[in-house]
Amino acid sequence: MALYKDTTGDKIFKIINYTLLALLGISTLYPFIYFFIISFNDGFDAIKGGIYFWPRMFTLENYRIAFSNHLILSSFKISILRTVITTIFSLLLTAMMAYALTKKELPGRTAIIFYFFFTTLFSGGLIPRFILYRGMHLTDNFWIYVIPGLYSFYNTIVMRTFFENIPSSLSESAMIDGCSDVGIFLKIYLRLSFPVIATLALFIGVGNWNDWFTGAYFVTKEKLFPAATLLNKLLNEATFESAMNVGEGGRVNISDSMVGQTTKITPESLRVTFLIILTLPIICVYPFLQKYFVNGIMIGSIKE
Amino acid sequence: MTNLHDVARRVGTNTASKSKKKGLGLKIWKYRNMYLFLIPAIVWFFIFQYLPIYGLTLAFKEFSFKLGILKSPYIGFRYFKDFLTDPSFYEIVGNTLKITFLKLVCGFPAPIILALMLNEVKNLYFKKVVQTVSYLPYFVNWVVVVTLMVKFLSPTYGVINDILQMHEHEPIYFMGSKALFYPLVISSDIWKNVGWGSIIYLAALTNIDPTLYEAATIDSAGRWQCLIHITLPGIRPTIGILLILSLGGIFNAGYEQLLLMRNPSVLQYAEVLDTYVIRRGLNMGQFGYSTAIGLVQSIIALFLIIFANNLCKKATEVSLW
Repeated sequence: MALYKDTTGDKIFKIINYTLLALLGISTLYPFIYFFIISFNDGFDAIKGGIYFWPRMFTLENYRIAFSNHLILSSFKISILRTVITTIFSLLLTAMMAYALTKKELPGRTAIIFYFFFTTLFSGGLIPRFILYRGMHLTDNFWIYVIPGLYSFYNTIVMRTFFENIPSSLSESAMIDGCSDVGIFLKIYLRLSFPVIATLALFIGVGNWNDWFTGAYFVTKEKLFPAATLLNKLLNEATFESAMNVGEGGRVNISDSMVGQTTKITPESLRVTFLIILTLPIICVYPFLQKYFVNGIMIGSIKE
Repeated sequence: MTNLHDVARRVGTNTASKSKKKGLGLKIWKYRNMYLFLIPAIVWFFIFQYLPIYGLTLAFKEFSFKLGILKSPYIGFRYFKDFLTDPSFYEIVGNTLKITFLKLVCGFPAPIILALMLNEVKNLYFKKVVQTVSYLPYFVNWVVVVTLMVKFLSPTYGVINDILQMHEHEPIYFMGSKALFYPLVISSDIWKNVGWGSIIYLAALTNIDPTLYEAATIDSAGRWQCLIHITLPGIRPTIGILLILSLGGIFNAGYEQLLLMRNPSVLQYAEVLDTYVIRRGLNMGQFGYSTAIGLVQSIIALFLIIFANNLCKKATEVSLW
């Protein structure tokens, strides 16, 4: 479109366009910067407001206390564990499923695919799922974070599409060399699939890291709360003093873990700090994987 | 043996039918490892997708823990009748429809517009930065987003109210305001999803043949005309598919967001079908009743997806199936 010089109309359009986009960028970024700053600011000072771009009273106290609180620490342990375990197993299982589905001559393939596809149209809903988990003793159990999240039809299709784009000449020559299907899968397909694995790892990982719902409704033991759930519960407490009421249904008894510490920071700054610790890993990771998931979405959007 | 002969005669030759059967067996054996790969998936889907579907029969039973799902007595459509006659029925369904509709009307075009705007940017650096920043809210938890909102909009120490006070306005209690609740819900939803949604449209935009634009410019077509006659038709299939998918989730008015955003003063606006199911089911233990509501939701959503799919097939060449 750069064949002719810009008209005034074009110039105005460009200015407006760039401005609006810049505004969007700022409005997206600023809240996080704001909380990042607040987390490094003394809690009591922060209440007075008026801090916008730089901490007024710099302190590391918020972080020190956050990291020494054993409830917060255990919740991060749970979050990290579940994210890593679920991502690895889900990737492996999904890849196996996707690879098997690339075999066009597999007997019963259409029926099998329909069997999986149907679940995207119609599902049992929350309550039957809850009863099922209860019956399987998955509630109040770490594995509830892993097992129900192992498969997703959408992820399988994305992977399968990617696999189908790998030239079959590779697997054919491997077969001539006497390699079995499984061998081909392991040595060729998995090795070549880094982009799609990176994409799906990001999706699954972020989904697990951010999931607060499972922990909030399917788990009652505080020690099993992932970080997102704990943050949510903390936010619903009006003050930490009210959290001193001994573990009423759903209330987190964080005061026990904070004996002697409440005088140095405010509940607000602790929450903000927790929030930043929760969000920072993601913010640091996703820009590097941007290349992959942008491609991954393009692949997933090419439907048969 | 007689039957096989009959079949063979009909099929053609005796040997053909026999080798067909043998062929199938051989094939299955040849792919045995693939079946092995699939078995965990099949089992998983059965347990975690199909069993809950069976659990939908709860909608017709009076659930008792002691008896379990299988043995609880049938009570027919009583729960459905109960729900229809419940006084809050209109409020809940109304909220659901309102929120979904608003989200569709405002939220669906937003990523498209963003993609179109980004497409016009020639400075690659600026484009990449804005893009990356725009996905940021998508990766972040709803808990975090709502926390951000609460703190930013807080009447006592939120940034927005600070600014208002500097200009001698009264502080506004945003989160408790009835009138502002829906705008807040919609705009926070857009804020969170617009960047991510625009990825697909940007990808589709790059698939449009650039020579079309050149030809149009030579014919002295303006920006608007290019947009209407080249760009939009070019991404029409993508819009179509995404529209179908959105319609299919039509009753998903975003329960996570609403669960987090609601508070006593806006409760009447914040209850939608999903949150109601959670409240009656998980919080109050009325399993049968809430399952019934969930069932109705699923069925309507299914019909909508089928309907939208057929509509899309006629309007564009693409569809889900």
